[in-house]
Amino acid sequence: MTYFNFPNIEEDDNLKNLRNDVKSFLKTTFNSNNIKPQADAWMYSANPEFSKKLGEKGWLGMSFPKKYGGREKTMLERYVITEELLVAGAPVAAHWIADRQSGSQIIRYGTEEQKKEIIPKISSGECFFAIGMSEPDSGSDLASVKTFAKKTAEGWELTGRKIWSTGAHLSHYMIVLARTEKLDEKNRHSGLSQFLVNLKLPGVEINPIEDMTHQKHFNETVFNNVILNKDALLGEEGMGWQQVVGELALERSGPERFLSHYILLDNFISEFRYKMSEMGITSLGKIISELQTLRMMSFSIAWMIQEKKSPDVQAAFVKEAGNVFEKKLIETIREMSNLIPFEEWSSSLKSLFQDATLRIPANSLRGGTSEIMRGIISKQLGLR
Amino acid sequence: MKDEIKIILDICDKILLKNVDHHLRINLKPNSTQFKTLKDEIISSELTKLLVKENLGGAGMSLTDIIPIVQLSAQYGTPIPFIETIISNFLLSELNIKPENDFITLTNKTENILIKKDKISGNFKSIPYLNLAKKILVETEIKNQKYIILFQKGGKLKLQKNFLSEPKFDLDASELEIISMMEKPEQMDVQNLLINVRSIQSFGAMEKILKLCIEYCSQRKQFGRTLSKFQMIQNHISEIALEVAASGASLSTLKNNNKNFYNLKNTAIPKIRTGIASGKVIALSHQVHGAMGFTKEYELSYFTKALNSWRNEFGNEIYWQNILGKLFLNQNKNLWEFLNH
Repeated sequence: MTYFNFPNIEEDDNLKNLRNDVKSFLKTTFNSNNIKPQADAWMYSANPEFSKKLGEKGWLGMSFPKKYGGREKTMLERYVITEELLVAGAPVAAHWIADRQSGSQIIRYGTEEQKKEIIPKISSGECFFAIGMSEPDSGSDLASVKTFAKKTAEGWELTGRKIWSTGAHLSHYMIVLARTEKLDEKNRHSGLSQFLVNLKLPGVEINPIEDMTHQKHFNETVFNNVILNKDALLGEEGMGWQQVVGELALERSGPERFLSHYILLDNFISEFRYKMSEMGITSLGKIISELQTLRMMSFSIAWMIQEKKSPDVQAAFVKEAGNVFEKKLIETIREMSNLIPFEEWSSSLKSLFQDATLRIPANSLRGGTSEIMRGIISKQLGLR
Repeated sequence: MKDEIKIILDICDKILLKNVDHHLRINLKPNSTQFKTLKDEIISSELTKLLVKENLGGAGMSLTDIIPIVQLSAQYGTPIPFIETIISNFLLSELNIKPENDFITLTNKTENILIKKDKISGNFKSIPYLNLAKKILVETEIKNQKYIILFQKGGKLKLQKNFLSEPKFDLDASELEIISMMEKPEQMDVQNLLINVRSIQSFGAMEKILKLCIEYCSQRKQFGRTLSKFQMIQNHISEIALEVAASGASLSTLKNNNKNFYNLKNTAIPKIRTGIASGKVIALSHQVHGAMGFTKEYELSYFTKALNSWRNEFGNEIYWQNILGKLFLNQNKNLWEFLNH
């Protein structure tokens, strides 16, 4: 009667050694390049030079085939590297989406030419991607996208607008979900296709959107009759929905869903380790238990993906539980500091706390809202 | 899962499916045919010896191996000292003492213990299902040395006022016959072992509650449609599912090595996580069921009481949060090192 299984996967010595290698690389690289750790670094902290260094170390494109410049390593190895990068607050935003999901989509659905052209560049940390799913009138209801790719003699003509496209201003490509047939209300998931769109093409316009922390990490991306070659189609025409569902599993299950603000927790403990009240210590114990449980769930999903299983629902669990955890993190830090007035905090800690407080409301929106996650779980339980 | 475990799970499932129902849970009488049949089938199937070493006549399985069996037993709401006997026999086996062919129950809550020749006197507290067992295994301390002692039931039993899904008794004993008595090995942490059993049982009970919620809201209609079609109900149940999934994942700390059952950090993590989950699951499942869930005759009542009983044993999750917080702070490690150690 077990509804959702998360197999227990042990971290072996190979993975432990890899962890240590990443730690020492980060220490050296941060020192020699004067890199400062940042919270939510996979969204806000882009450093193409750093991405290139990771590529040189062989830590990008980990699971891709060697013949396309990948490393043919396991998803568990990739997971360990990802965790260490997040915990260090490393500037990974430039390559994050390409390495996490776009590359895998191309490996899975791309043509030989697309793979040969793009995968080696992702693996070397020199090719960045943005996500082209949401639109001004299509948020959670992704099947209602209006961006349209019209078939022409030479290829496609793309028209429409994508929104919340994180890092599009730094990216080389976007995988765009577009209609290739008119919407059929009785079969809303049909007639969609994915396109590999070069963001330097004429007709592509990228407009920054400032968020409430005054950062401009996400954008509106407009496609004004952009002419695409035939080979811009990713995968099969009309199979966009099926393809995008798999992509979302990659997007939702990773440790960034609960480690985005880890450095806030770590810095708080470093600063006030010996000043916490009994209540603070009790809150700390709770968050340790919840964090370790989330890590076990996410690590287990990495193994499932490695084993070619389809952990779409398990990914929804991690996404939703991770969001709940990060939202609670702010309240937990406040509980942990019940005897330590805010004025006594260091300015760097205050800054981390303020950023987290303002950024965390976005966590349960990006990558699919909590309501969508719960809908996926309900469907799996046969309630819908 | 190993084939051997699948076979044992199958045997266990058949016995529990045939013999355990809600009538048994709420009308359990030691002399009833239903109880006697269940007990006979469990004892004769040797399921209570799964953790006993092979040279002592057992199956030689590991604590990790029997996690799904403890889970299954909790899903059925098995109202007998089945798991208590498995654990008691395991402790006896670790001391190279032959297992018992009857139900045993156990506790580590003792006071005023006095050993005189082959007799034990003292006060024993919170003993589950003492009414259904003839022997008691205790962990107790005498003059700074911990002992494991098996003795015959006797003396005055007092039923504790508790959540009553799992009757617990206090016993004031005077000169009861000791069957076995051994010094407890240093590494054997009985309390952590018992807590971990409760965490696994809590997970199993929450899985059952999830199943009850799905079944109930898929059948019951209000406002002309089944409850399952209401988005708010779907939200409640998906939250229950999330808590159940997280509870199951938290038990990963116990897997792969018997020593994990004795380790403080590995014990605290699932104890806290299943405790938090239990509170949420109880509240949400009752909301889904409406008044029906509040009745004695409906199964949810049993599992509600079981969860409430287990999450409050050995210190509740808040008590354990404090222990885990201090365990980390007292080690000279940063949090990430602590988590990865």
